[in-house]
This record gives sequence, C-alpha cells and structure tokens, in this order.
Amino acid sequence: MTSNLEKLVDDIISESKTKAEEIRKAAMGEIEESIARERAEAVREADQIIRDGLTESDAARNRRVGQEKQKARLAYLGEKNRVLGEIIQEVQKRLVEFCQDESYYRPFLLKAIAQGIEAVPSETVKVALSERDLRRFKRTKLLEDALAATQTNKKATLSDDPIETVGGAVVTSQDGKIRVDCTLEAKLELMKPQLLAEISKILFAA
Amino acid sequence: MKRIVEAEKESQRILDETNREVAQIKKDSSNKIASMRQQILREAIERREKALVEAERAGAEEAERIAIEATKQVEALSRIPEANRKKAVDRAMVLLLS
Repeated sequence: MTSNLEKLVDDIISESKTKAEEIRKAAMGEIEESIARERAEAVREADQIIRDGLTESDAARNRRVGQEKQKARLAYLGEKNRVLGEIIQEVQKRLVEFCQDESYYRPFLLKAIAQGIEAVPSETVKVALSERDLRRFKRTKLLEDALAATQTNKKATLSDDPIETVGGAVVTSQDGKIRVDCTLEAKLELMKPQLLAEISKILFAA
Repeated sequence: MKRIVEAEKESQRILDETNREVAQIKKDSSNKIASMRQQILREAIERREKALVEAERAGAEEAERIAIEATKQVEALSRIPEANRKKAVDRAMVLLLS
C-alpha cells in the first residue's frame, strides 16, 4: 500500500517535472525563433541603411566631382574665349592697317561694292563709304570700275553721307528700302563662327 | 491522501516556478533582442557614416586633381606660341579678305 502511494507521489512529481521541461523547451524554441526573426529583420534594415548610404556617398562624390569638372570646363572655356578675343582684336587691328594701304584695299573695296550692287535688286543704287574713303575715292573711277566688274547696266551713285566703318561699303536701293552691308565689320560678324573655328584649329588643336 | 495533496502542491509549485522562469527568460530575451537590434543598426549607421566620409574624401581628392589639371590646361592656353597666334591671325585675314 505504502509502495503504491510512493509511486503515485513520484509519478505526480515526475510528470510535473517533465511538463516543466517541455514548457521550458517550448519557450526556448519560441525565444530562439523570435531572436532569429528579429535578427534577420534588423540585418535587412541594416543592409538597407548601408545600401542607401553607399548610394548617397556615390551621389555626394559624383556631385563634388561634377561641380569641379564644370568649374574647370568654365575656366578653360573662359580662357579660350579670352585668347580668341585677343586674336579677333588683332585681326581688327590688321584690318585697319589693311585699309590704310590703298594698293591692297582698293581691289577689296571694288569687289565689296560690286557684290553689294549685284545683291540689291534695284536699277539705281547708292553706295555709302566711310568718311576717309569718300575723301580718297570720291573723284576716282571707283564706282565705274565696280559697275564694270558687275557686268550689269545698273546705275550707282556715291552717297554724301559717310558711314562708320573701318572699310567696305553699304549699298542701298534708290528708295532706301533694301540695304546690303558689305563693310568689313559686317563681314567679320558674319564670318565669325567660321573664323573662330579656324583660329581654334590652329591654336588649340592638341 | 495527505501525501498526494502535498505532491500535487509540489507539482504545481514546480510548474509555477517554471512559468515564472520562462516569463523572466522571455523578458530578458526581449531586452536582448532590442539590444541586438540596436547594435546591428548602430553598426550599419557607423558604416554608412564612414562611407560618406570616405566618399567626401575621395570626392575632394578627385576634385583637387581636376582643379590642378584644369589650372595646367588654362596656363597652357596662355602660353600659346606667338608664331601660332600670328598664323591664326593670318588665316583669319585670308578668309576675311578672300
């Protein structure tokens, strides 16, 4: 009887210990699972933070480098423009010298006037020159020679009103509605893109 | 009968103690998880900041290299030989007067 009672008591205790162990094991399993889940989640978040950081870093670096490149490009272009400006100024000086030498300048002026006359669709045209050219060529056969060069029957007269120019002429129709600018300034302006390209080729070709 | 009642009490005590122990472990683990999470995120933030500083440094270095190179190129422009400048002016004159 006593032995049976002892066994029953032992069984009760043993059963509770077993159950306690099961509870403990289940809890530990749950905790480990929870830790693993939370760790994975934290690692995912951390990876995202690092990825974002790298993207941000790359962007910051590229921004810095881009700004410097832009600055460098502007400085280089600024200097190039300065050099080109100097060359154009030198060209303008040379044009003034060129216009002073009548033996070179007269044929040029003749051609410029002829081109102007041909370009103006009017039977009678007016040719305007600079004050200096008016003085130099007024009593010469400049217009006759220019007309002869055009091989047209147009009539041309010299305007008494001088124009502001280094050299060349402005040709207008009789009614003044059509005007062709054949001055050196106009030609320089017109040809500037081509001139700058040519000058750049000579100066900056590596 | 008394022995059985005592055994039942002991059994219940064991289970209660286990439950308390488990509750404590769960509580501790919750703190441990929070601490682990903080640690992982702190390390990530440190890496992010390090990467930013490193990128800033690399960017500054490259920017400096670009600036030095740009200065050299600009200086080279101001040293264009006079013969080349004359050649450029001559070429422009030829084009203008042709």
